Amino acid sequence: MKGRDAVPRAIDARRASLGILVAFLAPALVVYAGFTVYPVLRTFYNAFHTITPRSVVEFAGLANFTTLLFADPVFWKAVINTALFTAVATAIDVVGGLLLALCLFARAPLAPLLRVVWFTPVLMSYVVVGILWVWIFDYDWGLANATLRFLGLGAWEQSWLGQPSTALWSVLAAHEWKWLGFNMIVFLAALHALPSEVLGAAELDNCGWFAKLVYVIAPMLKRTIVNLTVLSFIGKMMVFDLIWVMTGGGPLWSTETVSTYVYKRAFEWNTFDLGYPSAIAVLWFVIILAFVALMTRLLRPRDRLEF
Amino acid sequence: MHARVMRCVVAIGLFSLAVLLPAARAEDVTLEVWSHEADEPAKVAFRELAARNLEKAHPGVKVKITWYEKNPLFAALKTALPAGKGPDVFYLEPDQTEYITAGYIVPLDDLVNWNNIEPWARKVWMRDGKTWGIPQEAYTVELYYNKDMLKQLGVTLPSNAQFTQAQFLELVKKARAGGMTPISQGVGDRPYPGAYIAGEALLRKLGPDDYQKLFTGKLSFADPRVVETLKWVKELVDAGAYPKNFMTLKLGESHYYFYSKPGALMLPMGSFYTGRAFVPEDKGGQPPTFPLGIMQYPAMDKGACNECKTSTIGASFAINAASKNKKLAAEFLDAMSTPEMGKMWIETVYLQTGIKADVKQFSGPHAAYFTELMERQKGEKYFVGQPRDMVTGECKDTFAQVLNSGFPGGLLTVDQTVQMMNKACFKG
Repeated sequence: MKGRDAVPRAIDARRASLGILVAFLAPALVVYAGFTVYPVLRTFYNAFHTITPRSVVEFAGLANFTTLLFADPVFWKAVINTALFTAVATAIDVVGGLLLALCLFARAPLAPLLRVVWFTPVLMSYVVVGILWVWIFDYDWGLANATLRFLGLGAWEQSWLGQPSTALWSVLAAHEWKWLGFNMIVFLAALHALPSEVLGAAELDNCGWFAKLVYVIAPMLKRTIVNLTVLSFIGKMMVFDLIWVMTGGGPLWSTETVSTYVYKRAFEWNTFDLGYPSAIAVLWFVIILAFVALMTRLLRPRDRLEF
Repeated sequence: MHARVMRCVVAIGLFSLAVLLPAARAEDVTLEVWSHEADEPAKVAFRELAARNLEKAHPGVKVKITWYEKNPLFAALKTALPAGKGPDVFYLEPDQTEYITAGYIVPLDDLVNWNNIEPWARKVWMRDGKTWGIPQEAYTVELYYNKDMLKQLGVTLPSNAQFTQAQFLELVKKARAGGMTPISQGVGDRPYPGAYIAGEALLRKLGPDDYQKLFTGKLSFADPRVVETLKWVKELVDAGAYPKNFMTLKLGESHYYFYSKPGALMLPMGSFYTGRAFVPEDKGGQPPTFPLGIMQYPAMDKGACNECKTSTIGASFAINAASKNKKLAAEFLDAMSTPEMGKMWIETVYLQTGIKADVKQFSGPHAAYFTELMERQKGEKYFVGQPRDMVTGECKDTFAQVLNSGFPGGLLTVDQTVQMMNKACFKG
């Protein structure tokens, strides 16, 4: 094995000239600047402006933000719906994913089949999943009501997506069906990476299944749990596609989320003014960033486990 | 050596000119068109034919039509146009006035041949003394029904094809009691069909002037006539007029629900109904033997204009202000608007049009339908425009959520409806 010094100078990136570095980095940087940095900066710029007819841009100061915070009830409805969806879906994602993974890790009967069945929805697009679940929840010919009728529970049948009291939870059910498998796979990989000596020692000490989970497995999975919680939280705070396909934010704004509201304000309000929707996007970005920072700080493991 | 290189360069230059010159003819142009209604074969065929006709008339010109569904089309336009991009010609509807105020489309007064367009249809597109779009599709808001089902219920349509509001309520109750869905309707993918019954009832009750005032914020929804009308609509809703899956049923599905499975007595719909219904049955169209009839919307008690009917312009086309081929774009609009094309529209799309078309007799498999449609237009006073053409912003969103969906969906009382609509729309 040759040492590091033996690497030819021409292909050692740390010794490459500035010109070569620029030549190799430029394509990626240009794409990143054009499709990420510029849109983000432009959104911040738009948030403080109003685009009036004939595309004239006028400085609006904080006007968009004050209207948003103090005179827009739909925005607050969207915030509450998003917060509720995020909190519940994140909890189910993490806890449910862990339980499914444990089920497979413990070699439950039909585990290989279950792994495929639970993971398959992850591979489907949100649009397909949305259409599928709209059919499942259809009052007349949907599977949900048909099952209730079959079980003699016809009195419970209802328009799942047509009632404000059930619409958000119905969308959440569809979301979990699609997404739980992803967390399961990540947890399963983490479980398989755990040191078998530690788990074996716990068994030798007559540690029960629940105690092993709480005192041995969970602490060793803490990093995975934190990462999945943060990722799940970010995803849910920006939920759009599934809700757009299944309910469009209705009925009566009961499934309106911040993302669907931004879209409506940008594209469905008979206006080309991107100032107000940009203000919503900026405010939401700041809120997500603050929460992620807080969560990372509160949940990060303080002691490094050695195993 | 130097001279040889120079000769070589000159030769290459001359060869390049010879090759490139023919390609640089003034007419070598691709005209970009973005159109909605990808799922309506008759309209696709109509516009593609106009494109091919223009290409024949202008060798070297290529017309490329990109077919969209409505929402993706407008999302694409709203990002392309502010960037100074987008197609030369695009589909637009008259309620989308923001394209005019933002300066993204050009006035067509001096660009297209208006002799082929009905003046009333042109008027719909006029703002500030200029015409901004060329109207193609015209439609009226109709109340379709299944003749056999009506007969099964033992009900006869009055000679003027219009029930009173009390008779209509009875009809709904009778249909529900007979195990039929009285009215097929769904708001799963559109912000307006759920308001057809309420809208037409309000038009007849208030008359055109006050109706317009109501949806332009000059008349309160607490007006006693409005409340009285909404109470009648609420009675229909409570009598089970709409399907249980009203909230999620999509526009196309509501057509299918009406004429196929499970079947319904009535379908309030724009006369663009034919675009989906008159395709072959195996492609989702109505069965050839389906007993389709058209009745008038019910006459309201003390109605100010019971002979009123909503008529409006749907599919239209506009020219992008940033287009470099405005003249050619206008020629494409003209190619879609000849009397021959107007005749073709009526005979293949089975729908009214803003194009002047000399069609005195109807032929083809749906001639009886079109004759009945024309019969229902006799003596009618048209109100041009729908509520969604008149409302904007918060009022538009509230209209979609409340009058289109929550109220007919049985989620709101009349008082709540009045309060929510007034809050969003009434300017006092």
